[in-house]
Amino acid sequence: MAIEIPKSPEELPTTSPRFVGKNVNRIEDPGLVAGTTEFIDNFSLPGMLHCAILRSPHAHARVVKVNADAAAQLPGVEAVLTGEDIKRWCNPATTSPEGWGTYPMAVDKVLFVGEPVAAVAASSRYVAEDALELIEVEYETLPVVKDAREGLKPDSPVLFEQHESNVIHDRTHIWGDVDKVFAEADHVIQEKFRWNRCGANPMETFGCVCQWDVIQDNLTCHGSYQTPGFIGLGRSASLNLPSNKIKVVSHPHGGSFGGKGGPRGTDIASLLSRKANGKPVKYIEDRMEYLTAGGGQSWDRYYDASIAVKADGTVTGFKVDLLDDQGAGAEGYGTISVAKPLAAFTGCYRIEAAKYSLKLVATNRAPTYPYRGYGPPPHNFVLESLMDKAARSLQIDVAEIRRLNYIRPDQFPYTIPSGNEYDSGNYEAVLDKVLDMADYKKMREEQAKAQAEGRLVGIGVASTVEPGVFDWNAYATVGVPGVGVPEGVKVSIDILGNITVTVGFSLEGQGQYTLAVQIVADYFGVEMDAVRVAYAATDVAPPHFGPGGSRLGVALSGAILGACKKIEEKFRIVAAGLMQCEPEHMELMDGLMRIKGVPGAEMPIAAVAGAMLARSDLLPPGMEPCPEATYVWTAPGRNEPDDQGRCKSYLTAANATHVVLVEVDRDTGFTDILQYFIVDDCGTRLNPSTVEGQLQGGVAQGVGAALYEEYVYSDDAQPLASTFMDYLLPTVSEVPITEKGEVVTPSPFTPLGAKGCGEGAIHTTPAVIVCAINDALSPLGVQVRETPASPNRVWNLIQQAQQ
Amino acid sequence: MATKQEISVTVNGVSYQREVEVRMTLADFLRHELGLGGTHVGCEHGICGACNILIDGKAMRSCLQLAVQVDGAQITTVEGLRNLETGELHPVQQAFIEEHGLQCGFCTPGFMMSTLELLGENPNPSDEEIKHAIGGNLCRCTGYENILRSIRLAATRV
Ligand code: FES
Ligand code: FES
Repeated sequence: MAIEIPKSPEELPTTSPRFVGKNVNRIEDPGLVAGTTEFIDNFSLPGMLHCAILRSPHAHARVVKVNADAAAQLPGVEAVLTGEDIKRWCNPATTSPEGWGTYPMAVDKVLFVGEPVAAVAASSRYVAEDALELIEVEYETLPVVKDAREGLKPDSPVLFEQHESNVIHDRTHIWGDVDKVFAEADHVIQEKFRWNRCGANPMETFGCVCQWDVIQDNLTCHGSYQTPGFIGLGRSASLNLPSNKIKVVSHPHGGSFGGKGGPRGTDIASLLSRKANGKPVKYIEDRMEYLTAGGGQSWDRYYDASIAVKADGTVTGFKVDLLDDQGAGAEGYGTISVAKPLAAFTGCYRIEAAKYSLKLVATNRAPTYPYRGYGPPPHNFVLESLMDKAARSLQIDVAEIRRLNYIRPDQFPYTIPSGNEYDSGNYEAVLDKVLDMADYKKMREEQAKAQAEGRLVGIGVASTVEPGVFDWNAYATVGVPGVGVPEGVKVSIDILGNITVTVGFSLEGQGQYTLAVQIVADYFGVEMDAVRVAYAATDVAPPHFGPGGSRLGVALSGAILGACKKIEEKFRIVAAGLMQCEPEHMELMDGLMRIKGVPGAEMPIAAVAGAMLARSDLLPPGMEPCPEATYVWTAPGRNEPDDQGRCKSYLTAANATHVVLVEVDRDTGFTDILQYFIVDDCGTRLNPSTVEGQLQGGVAQGVGAALYEEYVYSDDAQPLASTFMDYLLPTVSEVPITEKGEVVTPSPFTPLGAKGCGEGAIHTTPAVIVCAINDALSPLGVQVRETPASPNRVWNLIQQAQQ
Repeated sequence: MATKQEISVTVNGVSYQREVEVRMTLADFLRHELGLGGTHVGCEHGICGACNILIDGKAMRSCLQLAVQVDGAQITTVEGLRNLETGELHPVQQAFIEEHGLQCGFCTPGFMMSTLELLGENPNPSDEEIKHAIGGNLCRCTGYENILRSIRLAATRV
């Protein structure tokens, strides 16, 4: 049966939606503000042990000997895990390209500071940490690869000895006649950039409670898992268990942003449980573990990039040469983040040809992991900086050069050179609106006045595309197979008409349970509190993925609408039998099954569900008494990449333009954000306050990446930012309160016309802030090309200029 | 190491007498000994403020103190905010819901504790005063805008 999914809120079976598109309060919130939500460290099991992990102090060393005898003797200690056990029971991570995966614990070499070398399960975390002090490890230190440039040198030490070099991936993509457009350009604008490591840092670190049933050889893992089904599959590979013998239970978690890590901790806690004869083992990562060796480090990049520009400012080509420091292997899907820019390589612009050369290098820094936005935030910083440089050298206004190059509304759906298709957009309307909100002309006048007084005041304008609704095919170029990312739900109506939606993902902060309830309540014409959302663990949930790649809002809407529609179809048949008419004369409207065109001939859905479950005598022959349905949604029309990696990957393309006014302090190099304006277009806004929350949260992370956050490493690859004293997250004083506006261009391809918007502002904020700083610095003739544009870095540039 | 000491504390109006290891942090004591898991731990080194609680009316880090240090103290945690008789949420909790002052909610109890301390001393705070009061609380999700709104709304109701 083909299921038609409503493409706009108007198509819902209700006179007018009461919840979809409205700023409803979130159903997640009462438990969260009351402190009763069960985050993983609030969960325990009888007889549970606590794990602590001994970590390497060296960036590169051979592990000669681990002696854990004394630790095992300590009262309260029930199991000790070392590389020997790992070798016996485990396989290297399959999340890296073949041959570049590591075990969850070092087996003969350590490759980064913080890599686990042993672990203990004991009666309390305190005792477990005591035991770590009794473990003796003998290391033979090896020469260190401190960064990607070193790692490329012919005489560099090699991390993975089965390979001849540290290069994990080396590839050049060519899209269109890039040599020709560069040869025919009037100007070639070229620049080098450095994006230093930053990363997710959700307020809750990773945690899990794992129990290995040693009789049945089953494993159950409770934890703060963003993508539970996926974690289960990974454990199946790493721990040698059939996938259906692993049950993953995701608990509500304190943010994730892609950077929750977890595979190593899960494998270690699981094997400790196995060693402790099946007792459950809890592992709660602490913040220093997170900062040095968790899933929180991303985007360590050197760029050499250029654009080809015609005399009138039309940009025709874009070349990017990227050297990416993956750290010690690519276990956190580090490779994916360099492939994601293919989904929006040329941004908002009609650039006709492009080239992307990639080198991914292993070094003795911590392995890199995903972070909100995945790869595009640094990529956008590069492209937008080049647009500004072009504008400056051609003496065109920075807003106008963008306008000149935008894809036009009548060109959608639009295929970009790197192969993805943008669904819809109206970039100029977004630009006009934000320029208007900012009173751009006046802003420029004020800036001129300030500059005349010698102040360093600058304006940034940046436009980006946020690819939404990720699909695995986007990553086939780095060896990840698959087309389609299904998300399934089950909707059930009980005998009293109460409704339950069963989903395969847990709370993470984006308000998705609320969204589920909004849609169901409007579909069946009930109050929101008549709908409950139930979480199902991986063993019983429908196929699911969870949040990631700005997909869940759209995918969840599709799944719920599909399931509701299936129930509606069943109700049509049942109600037609009860009301003695033909099913095609029945319709669902405002919670009633009614006969079209016959006023008053109607019955509430609760009565239909009740009759289905309680009155087999009234059911049409052969009708299953089941007022529930499961539906699994996946993005339609995705395809396999061609030889240059071109494919339809992300289903939606949201768009935003930010305008920001900054002032740089000449004496300290400190950047003060004075005004910040955003207009964005993510199609239909299903819950506007959630969308705004995602935007503002993305601004905060973007401010961090642009100005403060950096994982600094010493020359011997020692991490120098291992506490929040050194890794600076923005506080309320650093994050600007932004003025926000919207343009709504619904997606023609998605349920209700919504577009992915969960990653939002981090695509644009770092770019626009650096653009503004550069505008402020331009009278001095210096420019920032490295993130974060920390006071120290900017101050040094100012000093250079004054010499 | 594992020396124990007896303490008495009043938490959310209930008095407890417990033997605790002297090295146990107050956060661990509240969370794991008393089962009050609403106080969260984000860094254990005094920066994030997720573990804030009220000790004798002052917002303090429970990760930076030992349980034995609060012998004799009056403590309020997030579990103590709701009105147990009526079941109603505290106006600060309600304000955070209405103004969307939380996303994942992990930092929220800490922010609410800072808010309670602020509003206890200054029922009508300016934006600058609010910012100052929550300057020691980190939130990775919301970007603070809606937290400011929540506290402004709470100030009109407390
Ligand atoms: S956990 Fe206490 S301040 Fe972070
Ligand atoms: S709401 Fe997630 S950290 Fe504040």
